[in-house]
Amino acid sequence: MTGTTDKIYDLAIVGGGPAGQAAALQVAAAGLSVCVIDEQPLPGGQVLRQPAAAGAGAGWMKAAPYRRLAAQHAAFVAEKRIDWIGGFSVHTASRQAEHFRLSLVGATSRSISARRMLIAAGCYDIPVPLPGWTLPGVMSAGAVQTLLKAQGIVPGERCLLFGTHPLMLVLAEQIVAAGHRPAAVCFAQSQRQMLGRALPHALRAMRTPGPLLAGLGAMARLRRAGVPVHFDASVQRLVPSTDGNGLGAAEVAIAGRTCSIDADLAAMCFGFMPQSDLPRAMRAAVAPAHPAGWRTLNDAQMMTDVPGLYVAGETVGVTGADAAMAEGKIAGAAITHDLGALDAVSHARIASAAIRQRERLNGFADLLAAMADPREHWPEVEADTLLCRCEDVPCTEVDRAILQHVDTAASGGASAAKLRCRAGMGPCQGRGCEHSVMRRMAQARDLPVADIAGFRARFPIRPVPLGSLVDPD
Amino acid sequence: MRSSAPPSRVPDVLIVGGGLVGCACAFHLARAGVQVLLAEASSLNAGASGQTAGSLHFQIERRFLEDDGNGSGEIDRIVSLNRLAIEEWAGLENALSRDLDITMDGGLMLAENEADLALLQQKSAREAAAGLATRLLDAGEARAMLPGLSPTVRGAAFQPHEGHANPRILADAYADAARQLGATIRTGTRLDALSMTEARQYRATLVGPAGVETLVVPQIFVAAGAWTASIVGRLGLQLPLFPVPLSLNVTDKGGPELPYLVQHVGKRLSLKQSEAGNFLIGGGWASRFAFRADGSIDLDTPPLPVAESVSGNLQAAIDVMPALRHRSLVRSWTGITCISADQLPIAGMLPAAPGLFVAAGGSMFTMGPVIARLLAAQIMGRAEEADPIAPFTPARFAHLNAFAVLP
Repeated sequence: MTGTTDKIYDLAIVGGGPAGQAAALQVAAAGLSVCVIDEQPLPGGQVLRQPAAAGAGAGWMKAAPYRRLAAQHAAFVAEKRIDWIGGFSVHTASRQAEHFRLSLVGATSRSISARRMLIAAGCYDIPVPLPGWTLPGVMSAGAVQTLLKAQGIVPGERCLLFGTHPLMLVLAEQIVAAGHRPAAVCFAQSQRQMLGRALPHALRAMRTPGPLLAGLGAMARLRRAGVPVHFDASVQRLVPSTDGNGLGAAEVAIAGRTCSIDADLAAMCFGFMPQSDLPRAMRAAVAPAHPAGWRTLNDAQMMTDVPGLYVAGETVGVTGADAAMAEGKIAGAAITHDLGALDAVSHARIASAAIRQRERLNGFADLLAAMADPREHWPEVEADTLLCRCEDVPCTEVDRAILQHVDTAASGGASAAKLRCRAGMGPCQGRGCEHSVMRRMAQARDLPVADIAGFRARFPIRPVPLGSLVDPD
Repeated sequence: MRSSAPPSRVPDVLIVGGGLVGCACAFHLARAGVQVLLAEASSLNAGASGQTAGSLHFQIERRFLEDDGNGSGEIDRIVSLNRLAIEEWAGLENALSRDLDITMDGGLMLAENEADLALLQQKSAREAAAGLATRLLDAGEARAMLPGLSPTVRGAAFQPHEGHANPRILADAYADAARQLGATIRTGTRLDALSMTEARQYRATLVGPAGVETLVVPQIFVAAGAWTASIVGRLGLQLPLFPVPLSLNVTDKGGPELPYLVQHVGKRLSLKQSEAGNFLIGGGWASRFAFRADGSIDLDTPPLPVAESVSGNLQAAIDVMPALRHRSLVRSWTGITCISADQLPIAGMLPAAPGLFVAAGGSMFTMGPVIARLLAAQIMGRAEEADPIAPFTPARFAHLNAFAVLP
């Protein structure tokens, strides 16, 4: 393959967010060689996404929830012993005899060899189909936040935030801070449902009360700023503007009564899925993640069932940036010890502190997951609603592919439907529609979604120009 | 559509394997009123039938020219069956009353150097002798047909019926038609045990969602691709079929436009553009088997991709169509097919086991429809005097079963 360098790193980390940074700092401090590969040009991951240009403003980083992350980020940027490989995607990776080989593509293509590999690739917004969701102006909350963080832009005048995840409150405040007034925040669940689901986790969550108090404060501040926060408010349809060029309004059922909310931007927020295509394509064992997607399974050292392949952060389940940081430390210490650069006593000391830290955070993570649970609130789709946006496959065609072979063994799973209707065969390779196809298949067969096998993961995990696969740099 | 209820009586024929050949044979048998039960361990079309890129190639394959320069007559038998395959494919959408994305606008086999050109000449002469029309084109004629060809292309052989079909829907189409004609198809149903009775019938135990069922059938057709040898092996019989792990690549949609199947006489390359606009690039590049803990080949796990195969395959495609360098690879996939010891299909009844039929061992997409139809005729005892698949009989390997002990 192309651009191969002779150097073999001790560790290659995929992902420069909180987990990857924590692990890299740990490993570099022991004098081992480490590189961090990220699709973004600058480190930080999604949560600390850096402004693309000077002056675009990263004032948000000074806010309380980001403080610990920002301190680690500063240390990471200052650590000269870490090789930063920004602006590259890993499209193929495999374990060969003694080491891992990662093929990268960016402005050029190159490959990396490393004795150990850590995937800390984060998570992404669950793309949820509903009528009108492909209109210009309908985005994921994460995408809106990215534009805010990286460019200081809110791509609309009247932003409707809808879904089930309390991150909507954080984003709405950021939009207000950027000088805009969101049209509304619509939680599909009722307050009673939200509190009922939260209650069993409340006690443990109080070990880290900060985020809870922040959430309540955000709600009060939004109301003061004149932003309506509705509960039991499910968006049923996104309606085009009169000129037909984009979003005009949303039909929302609030406490059973349908009304229309004018909006030129809609930010969807039903929660997050781990980035799982790389570990799955490497044949690491995964399990269904809550509420959708796949979490990679790991042992106490954060190693997968592929020897030498480690995972940390949202890759093992979406629990937030602080927990990701703790897991990065656990993985970093384990890898350093495994490579003989950290004695057993020091390893145990670092690991147990990080494990305690992560456990403290788990209470809040569980509470948040329960409050945000979208599973009873997926919007209804219509026959012509596109489930696969890459291949333009409407719901009705997916259903036909499923029903035509309702006798198909569960082992055929979602891949059997994919082969028959092309859902999941486009450039994103099912990152967007896999969970929707699985859910419809589960419904059609009256099975739990967990019983449906997902799409078969294949390399490359990102589209790669043919030319860059065959030519040296 | 649900599969029909369990058969009211014992089937006349049990088919093991729900790929293209199994489903097609079920269709032909059901159409003739034969009671058929098809059992598929996974889902329909899950094996090589759905993993192939779907070329319809009728010119003599490069692999036969590689180590059979002077010809043993075997190739000529393939060529004459190819003529039947062309007719079969041309009539398939009518026969199944369904659009199958079949394109038969012709195919080019390219040459890039003197040795390639000599091979093309020799190939063309043998095809002419066997009654298959191919036309030799010089570099200018080839580029006039396909302007995107690289200047390195020195000549080509054109066969007007080659093309491609959609392997994702063909087995389903046969299966649906077979069901409508009364065949029973059970997926998720594996063959758990197989033996021969005193009366020389076959006792098969099937395990699936419907439970465990043991039935005795007079005839059984094993069309299980790379698994065929191990299934026949349960009777203590041997077939020289060997699994082969391959890889294929597909790009995003877009230009250049490619209306033909493109192959290369000197390189492993098969290149075409699907109905949807994606380029499918293959040609026999290896992937790597997954192995079980005991060191044996794991046929149930997809093979692992091999980086050198992917880049080598893409390089071969870019070499002949440089504009492809700007398309993006969206997926490489791997699959397992099988080849026989002499590279020709093995199709027919095993002399050691009357009533036991097999069909496997190479070119089973292009040849599958015609082989399945002729095999169905054999099963029903209605084969023609000059059976076109007679040369592929398993009898040519009967010596392997000289020591088999059967009732």
